[in-house]
Amino acid sequence: MRAPRRTRLIGAAALILAAITAAFVSVAIGGDDDDDPPASEADAAAAPALAEPPDPAFEIPPPVELGGSTHESTWAPVKRAATARSAPRLRSGAVGRLAPRTPEGTTNIVLVLDRAKDADGSLWLRVRLPVLPNNTTGWVPRSALGGYGIVRTQLVVDLGDRRATLFRNGKVVFQAVAGVGTARFPTPRGRFYVRNKLTRYRDPFYGPVAFGTSARSATLTDWPAGGFVSIHGTNRPDLLPGAVSHGCIRLPNEAIVRLARLLPIGTPLTIKA
Amino acid sequence: MTFRDIPDLALADLDRDGAIREAVDRLERSSRSGFLSAAAGGMAAAMALGRPTPAAAALTRGDSAILNYALTLEYLQDAFYTEAERKGALAGPAARLTRVVGAVERAHVKALREVLGRKAVKRPFFDFRGVTEDPPSFVRTAVAFEDLGTAAYKGQAHRIESREVLAAAVGIHSVEARHAAWIRYIAGSAPAAEAFDEGTTKAETLRLVRATGFVVARPRTTVAKTPSFTG
Repeated sequence: MRAPRRTRLIGAAALILAAITAAFVSVAIGGDDDDDPPASEADAAAAPALAEPPDPAFEIPPPVELGGSTHESTWAPVKRAATARSAPRLRSGAVGRLAPRTPEGTTNIVLVLDRAKDADGSLWLRVRLPVLPNNTTGWVPRSALGGYGIVRTQLVVDLGDRRATLFRNGKVVFQAVAGVGTARFPTPRGRFYVRNKLTRYRDPFYGPVAFGTSARSATLTDWPAGGFVSIHGTNRPDLLPGAVSHGCIRLPNEAIVRLARLLPIGTPLTIKA
Repeated sequence: MTFRDIPDLALADLDRDGAIREAVDRLERSSRSGFLSAAAGGMAAAMALGRPTPAAAALTRGDSAILNYALTLEYLQDAFYTEAERKGALAGPAARLTRVVGAVERAHVKALREVLGRKAVKRPFFDFRGVTEDPPSFVRTAVAFEDLGTAAYKGQAHRIESREVLAAAVGIHSVEARHAAWIRYIAGSAPAAEAFDEGTTKAETLRLVRATGFVVARPRTTVAKTPSFTG
């Protein structure tokens, strides 16, 4: 009787040990989530609720496409004195010099027309130059110029109609009658740009505002500061429209004040017959 | 390449307009003043700055400063990609990234300017010195910009007071992270090599931005002076 009982006890102990071992191994190797019983609705209800995310304080609009660049022009300030050359190479002939400052003391700027790399991989820009002869362009190292500015405006002065017209994105936004150069001191024709704005001076001859341009008088070469042509107001509005100036473009004072609010520096200027 | 590889320069040489300095100063002032309630912050801002937008009036001073800081970085990215797209010197995957990411950065600028209203810092003037016209330089710089943008948003997340502002900022942050991965892929770098990303503090971000030399003084083209034109 004692032997069978001991056998049963040993058998029971073995079963208990096997069960404990199986449980231990199961915990040690990790259980399979698929074997977990599904959470009941009661379990879900008992879980802490998560707050709804807040609405953003502001909305981000859809991506903003750049759009067409038909009416855009690029200008850049002159960072350091540089020689403009006839081709994008250091050995090409010089066609002009660029200084970092204008005679008026503002930052000198140029209109950027094209880009090229030389044999060494250095970047060059073709720019419109504020030099005689008018309409000269030349190549300067990219490193001589600063960051780009963009304008979407274009100013056209018609010497025949004696009228100034400003376009923005190709549409007329300003028009005014103009005084232009006499036959002896003609306003130069061609393609130029607006490079600075002078204000708060006390000379009624120039009106309240004067825009400096890259155009130069071909006849008044000994004029102070180089004979640059300007677009400015006047104390003789009775002479407009007419061929009355030394080459500058004179506008009525109310027109030049209006233009001052519309005309960004760097705007291309076309003066045509 | 990251921003940490770019040599440091003096802030005065690079931020003469003070746009970045202005954004960071606002951030520092808001830190010193501590947390304001949304209502008190909105009223203080409205009194100080005139007539901000309704959304801007609801911003605390601290959140407003953080959003201006973000706007400054978005200006930088917007100008970078916009110039690259305009110049048209890129081709292939880099050109496609420029069009897509540039459009997104412009949307970020638009959103931040609208929410800040008159409190928005002005746009700095940038000189990318030909980087946008040289494909290898462009890609290296874009990697650095996107890594920095992502880290900068993360670095401010814990300081944002409004849950709603945080929700908007997180929405931008993850987009910046996607940009970072995309340009890293183009550059041949691992798009997501790390298991954890650190944020950058405002001081570190400012140091890295000014180290680029891309933020410069706006050219002085208007002057009070009697003309000496031909007349």
